[in-house]
Amino acid sequence: MRRVGLALVLALLPAPLRARELELGLENFYYRTAPTLLNAGNVLGLAGREDLLRGTLRYREALGASVRLVASGYVQRRLGARGDTEWKARQAYVQWSAGELLTVRAGRQRIAWGSGFAWNPTNRVEAPKNPLNTSLEQQGALAVRLDLVPSAWSGLTLVAARSVIESGDLPFAVRQPARRTAALRARFLVKDTDLALVFSGGAGQRTLVGLDLGRTLGAVALHAEAAAYRGAEIAPPRDGQRFLRLVAGLLWTRGEHLTLSAEYFWNGEGYLDPRRQDWLGRLRTSAALAADPLAPPELRQRAAAEYLATAGIPFAAGLGLGRHYVQGSWTSRLSAGRWTTSARAVLGLSDGSLALTPGLEWAPRGDLTLAVDAITLLGPAESEFRLAPLRTALQARLKVHF
Amino acid sequence: MSRLLLLALLAAPAAPPDPTALLQRAEKAVLGENAVYTMRMGVQRPGKPERVVEMKGFKKGDERGLLRYTDPPKERGTAYLRVAGSTWLWLPSAEKAVRVGAKQNFGGGDFSNGDIFRLSLSRDYVATLAGAESALGQECWKLELKARDRSVAYDRVLMWVRRDGTDFPVRIEYFTLSGRKLKWLTFSDVGRLGAHTRPRLLVMESALESGQRTELRFLTIDDNPRLEDRLFTPSALERGE
Repeated sequence: MRRVGLALVLALLPAPLRARELELGLENFYYRTAPTLLNAGNVLGLAGREDLLRGTLRYREALGASVRLVASGYVQRRLGARGDTEWKARQAYVQWSAGELLTVRAGRQRIAWGSGFAWNPTNRVEAPKNPLNTSLEQQGALAVRLDLVPSAWSGLTLVAARSVIESGDLPFAVRQPARRTAALRARFLVKDTDLALVFSGGAGQRTLVGLDLGRTLGAVALHAEAAAYRGAEIAPPRDGQRFLRLVAGLLWTRGEHLTLSAEYFWNGEGYLDPRRQDWLGRLRTSAALAADPLAPPELRQRAAAEYLATAGIPFAAGLGLGRHYVQGSWTSRLSAGRWTTSARAVLGLSDGSLALTPGLEWAPRGDLTLAVDAITLLGPAESEFRLAPLRTALQARLKVHF
Repeated sequence: MSRLLLLALLAAPAAPPDPTALLQRAEKAVLGENAVYTMRMGVQRPGKPERVVEMKGFKKGDERGLLRYTDPPKERGTAYLRVAGSTWLWLPSAEKAVRVGAKQNFGGGDFSNGDIFRLSLSRDYVATLAGAESALGQECWKLELKARDRSVAYDRVLMWVRRDGTDFPVRIEYFTLSGRKLKWLTFSDVGRLGAHTRPRLLVMESALESGQRTELRFLTIDDNPRLEDRLFTPSALERGE
């Protein structure tokens, strides 16, 4: 709470025009929940309707030419089965630059690297973005980041981070153990092609080697991002096996009026059908045993623990449980940018899961925006998105910029 | 005698200029080799409110350009970076730089990314002198520019450059490969800005959609900034200004 107070005090100090940016917001995430195999016996304690109501703050300030302060966070009230209140800092960091050569950032921050739009297999430093609505602001990792730009065609980024993978923006908490990561990204511009090499590893995670490519062909920008590593991130560990995750996609823009993007994600360690059926079987068995009043209490307890561990796998997987995904998105700005309409679809090719996210943004003035996104989860029963204990979500965000 | 010689020299028709040299002088009339500038862009569409954004720009040589939106507040932080044939768009909400095509229109207006960032027409086009004629009330040299290859947005460009010694461009027309006129650009409001006198208002009008126009008004220009090449990198976009 003291950090939010500090940010508010800094925001209120006098500053030259444009050196300071302040944004206040109100967010309401409404969810209609559903009893699914991932919430057997309502272990998550969800009501039929769950709301997250948030007041948000985003603050940036340049102190001279070399120092920048950034803070963003929210206070959240959960309206549903529980009525708890909490606050979270999404970002809170200090940045110092020595000219164009060197920049150091310390504090909670977004790392946001990788060319993929919905999935970034080379970024295991922080929690993955939500592929169903990539416009949501993400939680940063506690990190020290150093950017070195030795020349106009090369750059080196070093990151040491402590991150917690959480189910942000959901009406239930699924929290993974914190992990410490050291990562390096070397970036080159070679013949109008972006090329980046990534090395990332640390405690409680797999060491990965990544490659990131980007190039423009006429009106289309192409990208490919890949990570190779040994041992799986999704249970079971499969320690001796090598895996590859690859994202490839394209972006077509017509000025800022119209944007179309498409992306394919190959999740090399994602479940194919036999493993998925086995996982579903374990979920069913452990849920049934945990709820069986005739079973001995010890057995029920063990079954409940196994159920929770098994049900947590999709949330720990981060990038997705399946093997193949595609996503497409369309954005159109109308009436001099006052209205923006968008539509996103994510399809799990392995099991037919489908998530549709239409959105609408209204900006009646240059300092005010209201965005509403609706997420609908479709597909066969017990497909990945339908297993989520949610059916629909309505995510509304109001922002006032100062 | 010397007065007579001077009068004779003044009365003689001016010798046709070298078209390439004239083009090189004309394209530096607004922004020189290196510049830091601020400008306001107004995008006008029939029946719709004008979209106005303000930007701060950095230009270094013929290869490097960077533009950051400074107003309205909701768009602040959005930035375009151009290095040779590559253009990136920085999205502050996603904290990410994405590549975009150079031929796409800039900021939702009638300028393309290439128009905004094409800092050397003489590099991309072969210029020939197509005569002398009046444009917008000014006596001008008319230049015809043919694309050196198909990587540029327009196959043919016509350019009118003032003959009064200033070499200020007055009008530019852009054509497709099929010979269709796409749009035209006019330079006006000549006056002092920064260290020089120059056109301060550029208006691009669509030849295909009646009433579609985009105004670029330069507000400040610093002609002698010291700019490092490293300013023009995706890393600089991430760092912010």
